[in-house]
This record gives sequence, C-alpha cells and structure tokens, in this order.
Amino acid sequence: MRGCPADREGRRSVARPSVLSDISPARAEINLVLAADNLPPCGGAVGRAETRGSGQGVWQPRGGRRRAMLLTAIVSALSSTAPAADLPRIMSMNVCTDQLVLLLAETEQIVSLSDLSLDPSLSYLHAEAAPYPKNSGRAEEVFLARPDLVVTGTFSLHNTTSLLETLDFAVEEFAYDQSVDTIPGEIRRMGALIGQDARAETIASAYERDLADLRARQCTMKPTAIAYEQNGVVLGEGTLADSVIDAAGFTNLATELGYSAMTPLPLEHLVSHQPDIVVVSEPMTDAPALADQIAHHPALRALETSRIGAFVPRGAWACGGPFVIEAVRALTELREEIASCDPAR
Amino acid sequence: MLNAILGLACLILTAASLLVGPADLDLRSSFSGLFAGGDEAAMIIMQEIRLPRALLALTIGISLGLAGAVLQGLLRNPLAEPGLIGVTSSASFGAVAIFYTGLAGASLYALPAGALAGAALSVVLLLAIAARNGATLTLILAGVALTSLTGALTSLVLNLSPNPFASYEIIFWLLGSLRDRSMSHVWLALPLMALGWLLLAASARALDALSLGEEAASSLGIRLSATRLLVVLGTALAVGAGTAVAGAIGFIGLVVPHLVRPFTDRLPSSLLVPSALGGGALLLAADIAARLVVPTRELNVGVLTALIGAPFFLWLVVRARRELF
Repeated sequence: MRGCPADREGRRSVARPSVLSDISPARAEINLVLAADNLPPCGGAVGRAETRGSGQGVWQPRGGRRRAMLLTAIVSALSSTAPAADLPRIMSMNVCTDQLVLLLAETEQIVSLSDLSLDPSLSYLHAEAAPYPKNSGRAEEVFLARPDLVVTGTFSLHNTTSLLETLDFAVEEFAYDQSVDTIPGEIRRMGALIGQDARAETIASAYERDLADLRARQCTMKPTAIAYEQNGVVLGEGTLADSVIDAAGFTNLATELGYSAMTPLPLEHLVSHQPDIVVVSEPMTDAPALADQIAHHPALRALETSRIGAFVPRGAWACGGPFVIEAVRALTELREEIASCDPAR
Repeated sequence: MLNAILGLACLILTAASLLVGPADLDLRSSFSGLFAGGDEAAMIIMQEIRLPRALLALTIGISLGLAGAVLQGLLRNPLAEPGLIGVTSSASFGAVAIFYTGLAGASLYALPAGALAGAALSVVLLLAIAARNGATLTLILAGVALTSLTGALTSLVLNLSPNPFASYEIIFWLLGSLRDRSMSHVWLALPLMALGWLLLAASARALDALSLGEEAASSLGIRLSATRLLVVLGTALAVGAGTAVAGAIGFIGLVVPHLVRPFTDRLPSSLLVPSALGGGALLLAADIAARLVVPTRELNVGVLTALIGAPFFLWLVVRARRELF
C-alpha cells in the first residue's frame, strides 16, 4: 500500500482537476479506475479535488453524473471484488515496453503508454494501443499519474529514469539490445513485474515453440540477406533484425562484412556483394524525408539477381516481443521460395 | 589557353572522381563497367552511382563558378558570391519548405521548384538592396543576414517535421553533399542548370559595359533592367537547381573567379568561361577529397569547400580593406 504523506497529498489535489478534465470517453474510463484505485489510501485528497474540479466551468454540466460513477468505482474498489485493483498499475514510457504491457496487462492496469506506441512503423500493436492514454515520457506526467510501476527502455530517457528513481518511483528498465532468444525471458520478466505470470508463460512458451519450429526449417542453403534502412543504414551484428535474419535461415550480409549494430553501408558495397534479398524499410511517416529515398535508388533497382522489398510485416522487428515471430515467419517463407531446402525442387 | 588547361583539369578530375569509391574496382572493370557493360555489379556502380556523382560535381561546380563571376561583375563587388550573399541558403530553404511540408507529396520535383523560387527571391531582394546602397559592405551584410535567417528557418522546418530523419538532414541542406545521388538527380537538375548557364552567359556584354559604370553602360545602349532580369533568372536556375539536389555548397563562386582573374584580360566577360570550368574542377576535387580524407566516413563536401573558401575570404577582406571600406 502506498503512503500518502501530506506534501504529496497537497500536490495531488492540485493535479487532480487537470486529470479529470479530460473528457474523451476512453480516457475518462481509465481516469475513473485510476481515481478509484487511489482512493482507499488517500480518499480525502481526491474528495477535495473533486470539489475543486466541479467548480471549473468545463466540469459543471457533467459533475453530478461523474460523481455518481466515481462513487460506484469507489465501492467496487473498497469491496475488493475486482482483482484488477490489486494488480500494479503500469505506466510504460518506451515503445517496446508498451507492447509487452499491452499483451500482458489487464486493461485496468494500464495507466498510459508512450506516444510512439501509435506509430505503425515502430509499434506492431499500434491499433491495440489506440484506446489508452499516452505519455511523452516526462517525469511530470509520472508524478501526476502516480503509477505503481514505470517500465521503460535502457536506451532512452536516462535523465527521466534517474529523476523518477530519486523521487522513489519504482522504475524497471528493459534493455534495447535483444535477439530472438532473449524475447521469452523479457516476456516472463514483464509478466512477473505486473502480476501476470501465467499469461506471460503462455505467450512465451508459444513463442518458443514457434521459433523452434521455424528454426527447424533451416538447412545448409543459406542465401544472403541485408536489412537496408533509411540513409543506407544496415542492421548488423547484435541487432534484433540480425537474429531474425539468422533464425529465418539467411546469412546477414551486414554481419558477414563485419558491420555491427546500426551502421551506414556504402551503396557501392551493397551492389558489389549482390545479396539475394534486400529488406528495405517503408517510410516512417507520411512526412517526406530524403532518408527514405535510398530505397528507390536506381542502383538498387538495377540489381537483377536481388529481390528488394519490405518483406517483414510493418513494425514486426522494431521491438522485441512475441510478434517478432511474424518477421521470422515471413523471412523463412521468402527463403524457402528463393532457395528451397528440398533437393528435388 | 587558360580555358584549355581548365577544361583538361575538368576531364582529368571527372575521370578521377569515377575511380574513387568504397568498392574496389580496378581500372579495367571500371572502364568496361562504364561503357561496355560486363560485370553487373561493376556496371551498376559505375553507371548508377559514380557517374551521376561525377556529373553533378562537375555541373554544380560550373554553375557556382559562373554565377559567382557574373554576380561579381554585375554588382561590381569582389565579394559577391551565391553562398556568401545568401542565394544558396535561400535555395536550400525553398527546397526544404516545399519538400518536407509534403505540399508536393514525396515527389523529387518539389525540390528544384522550391529551390528555384527561394534563389530567385533572394537575388531580387539583394539587387533591390544593392540598387539603394551600392557599397560592398552593405551587400555582404545583407547576405549575412539572409544566410542566417534562411539557415535558421531551414533548421526550424526540419525540426518540426514529424519524420524523425528530417532533423539529421539539416547538415545536408546547410553543408551539401553528393553522396548516393543518382541519374534521376542529374536529369532533374542538369536541364535547369544548362538553361541558367545560357542566361548568365547572355549577360556577358552588358557586364563588360557595366564595368565602366551604370551611366556609361546606359549610354552604350545596355538596358540595365534586362541585364538584371537575365542574372536573376540565370542565377536562380543555375544555383537553385544545383542546391536542390546537392544542398548548399559555398565559396566556389568566390574563390574561383579570383583565382582565374589574373590570367585573363580582367574584363568580366572573359572571366565567365574560366570561372565556370574552374568551379567544375574545384568541386570535383573537393568531392574526391571528401571521400578520401576519412576513408570510413564520408565528409560533407560543403565542409571542404568552406575549409578552402573561408580562409580565402578572410584573406580577401584583409587584403582589400583599404580599397573597399
């Protein structure tokens, strides 16, 4: 149970009206749950805040109905019949943890997701993320929402993370350097953190089974593949894409050439090695940038023996998650098409 | 004689540019890849990667050298240069403003359209300022202001773009590069630049007359407004089209006319061809150096031209101080 020291209570009562004044229906529901869960330890504060909120013009017309709903929520929370109220409430600040949270958590557990979770090029589950409130990864937002747990990536927002830790928020970081084999561990870790162990186990073991099945389809025929992203950056050794390419039975040309992580590869090198497939990425947004034009360079198109395309489902290998199996599957099928293991064919 | 030497330098440097690149191609496979075909990879590297790069370096260099010589003649100002007086950065801003806001989709044609408009506007503005106050210093200061303003606006537009890669492209638009250009860029820019060269060259006789002063020129039958229009359109086409595909490359138009002037009869018209050829040779050389200085990471060619040009500019300012200000 969280304590409610007087100073925090004071700040919360100021914060509350702004949280409640959000009138989008999806968010209102979340906010209600959020308020209900906050109530038992700090009921007085919320009560005061509600009075304040009703005083504001925006809230006047709907205040009565809202208060009735709030009361219902309080009752259900106090009676402890809803198990979701016992589970930690999660705020995710990284597009990769967003997706693990979406897969594993109860709807009521999710306080907010990062705003990148809506980006189809980064987030495979962008449609599922749509109904939830979004945060932009600032410590202030965490302070206002008061989640039980903040999950984020080690890659970004170091200042925010250390600030939150100083303020005694529970913060869990997930590493960015992943491979197809670390994903089940990450799923189970997230499951344990948010009290959804059983669900995590189901998803992780299904993923492990699928991955083993797909790997079993490999053979000695290993065509070369390369992931050629915006600005001619290749995904070399140590990247998730590298392990996906490997699991699908390809040789990653970038790793073969000694490139690790995300490094620009001169177009001339790519052309002179003529990889069997070139995975180019689709533009990240509708807003144009010159970076996307490398995929349309005539030199790539002139490679007669190479197959060039997006191939991997959008967003499927941007983050570690069970959906990475879709990237492995798509590339495995492509490999079987261009270089069959069956000697008879 | 001078033109022959500079033309030969352009040829040799174009050939050298075709032989420089990260892929190790020997002389024979480079040659056969360029003209005959043969190995598929060598052919693609030569025809689709190195040839457009060499052609763009040559033709953009020609544009910048020629525009520099013409502007110096028209404004009778030894420091006038497309980069210094803000034409290049205005062209960059025009291209950025139209392309990144998605007004024309992701079409490449948006780039020259915006760049030409930006360059033309800036030349008109600068001519208006020069007409009111002919002092060398005024024009340079106006150019400094214009360069800072358009540079800041370029950065702003790129920062505001929702595309996360746009911010990284600030350096391209402020310090151009010829990396991974293709023949489609050549076809996009070359016709416009060539038209610009013709217009600039057509101003040659008027520039000679103008070296005697505006009144003398008028008495010789030169229509000043027509000359200005030629130069505005010519500069916008030549510099704008080049900037649209290679970003802002500075100082070529400043350095080259000064270097070749001692070898001419000092008439503005006889400076045009050597400046154009010298500009081509200098940009080719700078672009070769940009690929060789740090072998693993290519430099932006605009950095190199600035490294050559900025000290030269300072030297010009110090040397010409007594005469100018």
